[in-house]
Amino acid sequence: MQTRTWLRILLPGSVLMVPVCLLFLSIDKSYAIPAFSRQYQTSCTTCHLDFPKLNDFGKAFKDAGFKFPKDDENFLKIAPTLLGAEAQKQVWPKTVWPGQIPGMPPIGLRMNNFFQMTGSNRNQFNSLAAPGTLPQVIPGTDFETGFFSIFTAGNFGSDIAFWVDDDISVAGANANGGLGDGYLRFVNIGRFLKLPKDALTVRVGQFELDLPFTQARNINLSPYDIYSESNVGAISSVLPLSQNVNNLFTFATAAKGVEVSGGHTYGGYHYSVAVLDQNTSGLSQTSSPYVPSATGGANGGVGFASDSTFKDVYARFSYRFNLERNAESRNGIQAAGATGPRDHTYLNFGTFYLNGKSQQGLVGALPNGNPQLLYAREPYYRAGGDFSFNYRTFNLFGVYMVGHDNNLLPVDSKGDLIPLPLGSTTVPVGFVTSVPAKFNGGFLEADYLVLPWIMAIGRWDGVHSSADRINGLAFNTGTSYFGPVNSERDRFTPGIQFLIHPNIKASFEYQFRPKQSVLVVTDPVTGNQQAVNPFRVNTALIGLEFVY
Amino acid sequence: MKNAFTKLVVTALLSGALSLAAALPNSALSGKVTAGKGVSVVYIEAIPGKTFPAPTENVVIDQKGLLFQPHVAAVPVGATVEFLNSDKVAHNIFWPAISGNKKMSHNMGTWPSGQKREFKFDAAGVVPLLCNVHPEMSAYIIVTPTPYFAVTDADGNYKIANLPEGQYTVSAWHEGMKVQSKPVKIAADATLDFTLSK
Repeated sequence: MQTRTWLRILLPGSVLMVPVCLLFLSIDKSYAIPAFSRQYQTSCTTCHLDFPKLNDFGKAFKDAGFKFPKDDENFLKIAPTLLGAEAQKQVWPKTVWPGQIPGMPPIGLRMNNFFQMTGSNRNQFNSLAAPGTLPQVIPGTDFETGFFSIFTAGNFGSDIAFWVDDDISVAGANANGGLGDGYLRFVNIGRFLKLPKDALTVRVGQFELDLPFTQARNINLSPYDIYSESNVGAISSVLPLSQNVNNLFTFATAAKGVEVSGGHTYGGYHYSVAVLDQNTSGLSQTSSPYVPSATGGANGGVGFASDSTFKDVYARFSYRFNLERNAESRNGIQAAGATGPRDHTYLNFGTFYLNGKSQQGLVGALPNGNPQLLYAREPYYRAGGDFSFNYRTFNLFGVYMVGHDNNLLPVDSKGDLIPLPLGSTTVPVGFVTSVPAKFNGGFLEADYLVLPWIMAIGRWDGVHSSADRINGLAFNTGTSYFGPVNSERDRFTPGIQFLIHPNIKASFEYQFRPKQSVLVVTDPVTGNQQAVNPFRVNTALIGLEFVY
Repeated sequence: MKNAFTKLVVTALLSGALSLAAALPNSALSGKVTAGKGVSVVYIEAIPGKTFPAPTENVVIDQKGLLFQPHVAAVPVGATVEFLNSDKVAHNIFWPAISGNKKMSHNMGTWPSGQKREFKFDAAGVVPLLCNVHPEMSAYIIVTPTPYFAVTDADGNYKIANLPEGQYTVSAWHEGMKVQSKPVKIAADATLDFTLSK
């Protein structure tokens, strides 16, 4: 006789589909640099459409190493400080010595605040509290503060650019005290190798990977879901599928390593290849009491950032076709419009690929019973394609990506699979290859700059991960945001933004999120678990931010 | 005796006329405009019944270092202004109105670095120049009704030379200030000061 398995029943009656509070609030970074505005005495709109989104001139400015692509010295209103007299070039004619620093510290500051609205469905999560305990209070309306961030960028002359940004109010996204990016970029270093101009640039430090559409330049209040997706394999004591995959890598995480790149993002080809630390455990940097690290001696410094010796490799290639008929306009940084320069009408196609190998350590044993450390080294990849179409102030763009992690299941001395999660009684002696953990998804977004101070946005995000769903069901904790009723985690997010000033922005978005459920029953016929009380998770979000 | 008296009268009349004639082309109007930082423009308003030929030389306004150069220019009505782009970035020039008349707005479009475009100003008024790529850029062209005008120096001093004798209305313009007009009678060199306010 089958036993029905019930979770606590919350609401009798029909399914309700009303806005529900999300406990998860994503604060995306905004990388507009008011310091450049001060250095060049020019408006933010010279480089930004709707900060931080770059226009074509802003892309050229960034590609050139945070300076005007041509005759930069004629545009700088604050002269740089030379680190040696000009005549030093006669002493060392074939070096980049001595260089310069910006005449004033190129510092920008940013602050944002949020307000969100929920609906009565938020109280359905009260069922997740253990019996006899108080559930979390989820308010219907809520004001929240974001991060106070500092960022500085510029160039040191000799085509050497720099960037550092940090969330100084709290330990925000990325570890190490909220450090975002911190790197040096050697622009057009290929000139020393007689390569074509801008064919080779090197970047070293901590940086966001050269993604098709980055979180850093994302004008939305909420991030792109696919960039936040990690690959945690399904672990279920009920279902036959088990995946010993615990890869917490996401594209939203800053990389530590070195990148070579070339080409331009405002027309023609662009490529990048990065070698970066492997860290799929998601742990922050750890120090060793025995081995000193680059940041300090034994028992000192920040420690090691990698969780294995393997180095990941990320590569991207894209080509942008500017579509103006006039060749001079088509090849220019901006198109020559009848009423003034504007962004090109263009079509951009790209592809990207990341290869890694996660490493999970286990305390196992040799077949003779002697203790042995076992490491499940599971290669993984992320691969995808992207496109972008732009016509005047209308931009349609999207990404599709797949993720794949090999799956090594531990076995005991008899060769039998050991159920996951591992307990302390059964000692593994090796691994066997099993069903890989996969996911796929992407996003499609349309931005339209209605007026110079109004941006209309429509966006669709999708993440398809059956492992996320299985994990949510198996743990019987009710499906969290990452374990929806269906295996798809699609959402539609319309929004609108107002530039009160070029450096002050008010944003609104409404997130039509996928269905969730906190009531799961076991079908008496099939024995499968299914949700019988799904409800849609929606959020209304308002943001107010300023940079200066 | 009668002939001598006639000669005396004629001589006196001729002398007076000559003196008067000598005074007419040398009259100048000078003074000072107090209006804060920057230059001002002082000009003679339209003279009823008088028209003036368009100047033959063009005035040049350049775009260099994300700045219009000069920031203030004065040209007589009918003059042609050449707009040059000396920057290695794309610029645009447009004006939303002339003396508040939006029907007279115009957009010059975009042209490459090193090239120029011309525009002939057939109507008098204040022309605010803007760039729709770099909103911080601005300049002013004061199109004057007559060829009698002057741009002050940095201290506000001006001088309009070669003014014929007559009764005129003189106006002073400064960026951000109200235009002030005063009557003046020119019989010899004269002085006229202005103090402008918002």
